[in-house]
Amino acid sequence: MTVSFILNGEDVSAKARSVDRLSDLLREAFGLLGVRSDCRCGRCGRCLVFLDGRLVPSCIVPAFSVRGKEVVTIEGFAQTEDYREMVEGFAAAGVETCGFCEAPKIMAAAALLERTPRPLPREILEHTSSAPCRCTDPEAIVKAVQAVAELRARRLYRRAGQ
Amino acid sequence: MLASDVHFAKDLADALDIQRRRPGILVFAGGTDILREQGGRGISLPAELLCIQSIPELRRAGLTERFLEIGAAVTVAELLELGDSALPPLLAEAVRGIGTPAVRNLATLGGNISCRSRFMDSWPALACLDGLVELRDQGGATWMNVNRLLGEDGKPSVPVGGLLTRVRIPLDRWDVHALRKVGPRSYPTPETAVFAFAARAEKGILAEVRIAFAGEIGLRSQALESSIIGRSLPLSSREATSIAEGYKSLAEPLPEGLALQFGSLLDGALGLLSS
Repeated sequence: MTVSFILNGEDVSAKARSVDRLSDLLREAFGLLGVRSDCRCGRCGRCLVFLDGRLVPSCIVPAFSVRGKEVVTIEGFAQTEDYREMVEGFAAAGVETCGFCEAPKIMAAAALLERTPRPLPREILEHTSSAPCRCTDPEAIVKAVQAVAELRARRLYRRAGQ
Repeated sequence: MLASDVHFAKDLADALDIQRRRPGILVFAGGTDILREQGGRGISLPAELLCIQSIPELRRAGLTERFLEIGAAVTVAELLELGDSALPPLLAEAVRGIGTPAVRNLATLGGNISCRSRFMDSWPALACLDGLVELRDQGGATWMNVNRLLGEDGKPSVPVGGLLTRVRIPLDRWDVHALRKVGPRSYPTPETAVFAFAARAEKGILAEVRIAFAGEIGLRSQALESSIIGRSLPLSSREATSIAEGYKSLAEPLPEGLALQFGSLLDGALGLLSS
């Protein structure tokens, strides 16, 4: 079947079988290698994408089910101001995540801040658990996300003043 | 691996029509239960699938004075976004235990209830809250208490045919409640189970009590609950011990580790009525 959807802001179509996972379709049909497909059961978080604005593990999403929906991968998210703020906030907090979890952790934190501009530490830890990894001290992740929240609040304040 | 024929229902009438024409078609919403055990390259799915995730009627949630009504395709994340003022605390706590936040964006309440291989997190809470599920087919709608999803063998007994469309939860007052999840949290294993407890008192007398525990096997005995109702509160420690004794045979089908955990959670809950 042909699946048409919006991928990183562009209308796309791809041939997909009902047995294909979204993570595999994104990697193989579109070359989006930032989407990894490791555990294939939704646990490792390395395949996280935004589906209609919601963070989901794309390895447990059948490719056929994204028909008519909007998908944003780390490649698309990296083009946004939100992403730049995330990187800046993580750097400001001195957090260096590993190559496996950096993108999903940033996406998980961004998903949280989208709905909760001033998250509590427990909310940060819970949301970043969508991309579990032992490379970074959880307290450092909390500081990093709080730093991003601060940057974002300042940006919104500046915009409101303009 | 089998390539499936996928049918996208545009509304409820369409979904019921597809289901009538194709008996046995697998209903697909979030897909988290269907895909969670499949670690291979491709997905193995039945020959025919009915996608209900975009049906508007199944994606609504509404609150009246007497109950909360949730469409079967409402995701767990959307359910939590209703907020603590709308969501009964026991249910809120139960669904917070489902998967990771990313998985909760896919998993639906209907899927969580209608899992056939085991009980998922929401069942014990819904059983305590006297939740009802609506099953629809071309002939009409039937409301059914979630307790009827507990088979005589303790395993899930989800009716075949028909479509689970809505969940209705009475907004009754419960004076004390408790919910505990044991075993691995974000991913269900044979050691994962949920304990739920709720009780209501009237003039110092225990007026209602609900105790449910479920993982691969579900436990709830309305007969044992009835035998506790009507006692004066607080319960004496002798009464609490005798009630716990009564539950021992109910817990017999559980693996030893889970039976011990059930016993200790029950003791904790009865402790709430003893103080």
